[in-house]
Amino acid sequence: MLDSVHIPDGFLSAGVAATTWVAAGASLAGSLAVERREARTVPAGVLGSLAAFVFAAQMVNVPVAPGASGHLVGATLVALLVGPWRSLLVMAVVLAIQALLFQDGGISAFGANLLDMGVVGTLVGFTVAWAVSGAGRSLRGIAAGGVLGAFAATLAASALTAVWLGLSGLYPLRLLLPVMLTAHVAIGLLEAALTGGILVTILRWRPDLVRGLGAGAGDRRSVALVVGALGLALAVAAFVAPYASALPDGLEATAEALGFASRARSYVPAPLAGYSLPLASSFAAAPAVAGTIGTLAAGVLAWAVGRSLKSSDHASHR
Amino acid sequence: MPRIADRPSVTLALGLGLVLAAALTPAGLAGQPVPALAWPIWAAVFTLGLTMFRASGWLLPEALRRVAWLLPFVVALAIPAGLASPDGRRGLVTVALAARALSAATAGAGLAAMLGPAGLVRALRQLRVPARLVAIVEATLASLAVVTRQVTHMLRAREARRPHYGAWSGLFSRPVETVRGYGRLVAALLLRSLERAEALEQARRARGGAE
Repeated sequence: MLDSVHIPDGFLSAGVAATTWVAAGASLAGSLAVERREARTVPAGVLGSLAAFVFAAQMVNVPVAPGASGHLVGATLVALLVGPWRSLLVMAVVLAIQALLFQDGGISAFGANLLDMGVVGTLVGFTVAWAVSGAGRSLRGIAAGGVLGAFAATLAASALTAVWLGLSGLYPLRLLLPVMLTAHVAIGLLEAALTGGILVTILRWRPDLVRGLGAGAGDRRSVALVVGALGLALAVAAFVAPYASALPDGLEATAEALGFASRARSYVPAPLAGYSLPLASSFAAAPAVAGTIGTLAAGVLAWAVGRSLKSSDHASHR
Repeated sequence: MPRIADRPSVTLALGLGLVLAAALTPAGLAGQPVPALAWPIWAAVFTLGLTMFRASGWLLPEALRRVAWLLPFVVALAIPAGLASPDGRRGLVTVALAARALSAATAGAGLAAMLGPAGLVRALRQLRVPARLVAIVEATLASLAVVTRQVTHMLRAREARRPHYGAWSGLFSRPVETVRGYGRLVAALLLRSLERAEALEQARRARGGAE
């Protein structure tokens, strides 16, 4: 079972590998240019220490579902600590060391991995966190923003990974995308909960270290627009678009091809099984509504876990 | 004329070239044929990867064991991708993908064994990678051993204090406690890492280092 979105060598076509390398190189060059212009510098030792921390945190896998494990990716967290551009530099170094010294993620796939976890992971996570945390930047707002940002970043990174693999001809995208997104919902919840828990602890003991959100400032209307657009895109990409197709998903296609599809059984009744509504299964938009409910439920759950971590942290330090 | 060993940038460039040659050789995806030349390329890159291990002083069984770590990831992606291929090509695509991924990864692992962390930093400097990035790479590699040692110590200390609190086995029975325990552990690790980095930075400046 894939436990992360690190694409190894050998699974991307030459065209996709080259394109993603160019795009990742341009993003990295842009980050370095922004970093050079920044008035407030962060020592390379501190960024290196953050990179080592992310590396170590990624080594510890946690089971998130039967047969699947996940680990902290950390892009949103680092972006909240030192800002999105520096987070991209940190993630680039982590991914480069993982690829070069540990073959965790391929060298030919470095561009794709950097775009997934570094660029998209950082920018989606930071934008959501910045928008949700609001103008006041309260502890509650920052923690909630981190939780929702980390969840959105994980799903966005997994969707982009599916796109690269689909464009390379490895799997049909329409089959792979729902499988990847579904598999990463649990990993996204873990990332969200961990990011929230870590943020709350840091805000409690060393609030001065959370410097990233100083990079963002804006009015409430633009905040609402960003949240709305991202939420809509996430809901459509995650659940509505893939299941609009009547074609079987990857596992079903494989099962049918191998002749064991008829053995499928449901052992635990699910309220929205097959993305249908219990009392309106013939309703044409049932899959879309069920998908939206799933998206909202995931977001609310991530929020609840983050809140529970925060309130218990307050209680334990009283 | 400088020897290759004196120029880690040459080793890095040649090694990356080998990895890319293996990784980008067509493997029958999207209905394309597998060229006859692909198999000798993957065999040659795999052999050169093992040769790099031997040149770094690794014994062949150790090198093969290291390469075997990569097998689960290669198989996990190659078999479903092969199954998603059209009828009659499934076996060919699966084997070609596995050969491509394994040969590229072996060359990468051999390159890492030859260069090591210090060689990698020297190579990046020689290749004129932006100084800010090289400085972060160097600081990361310097911190890595300390941070991973801290993780081990913290996990051991937590296990000694409260054997059942936050254990992974409790993820389903006590999910909030488990995730909270892991979150606090990682947060403490982050704080310690950053405080250590700041102390090192202050010491460096005290010795006359630049801002």
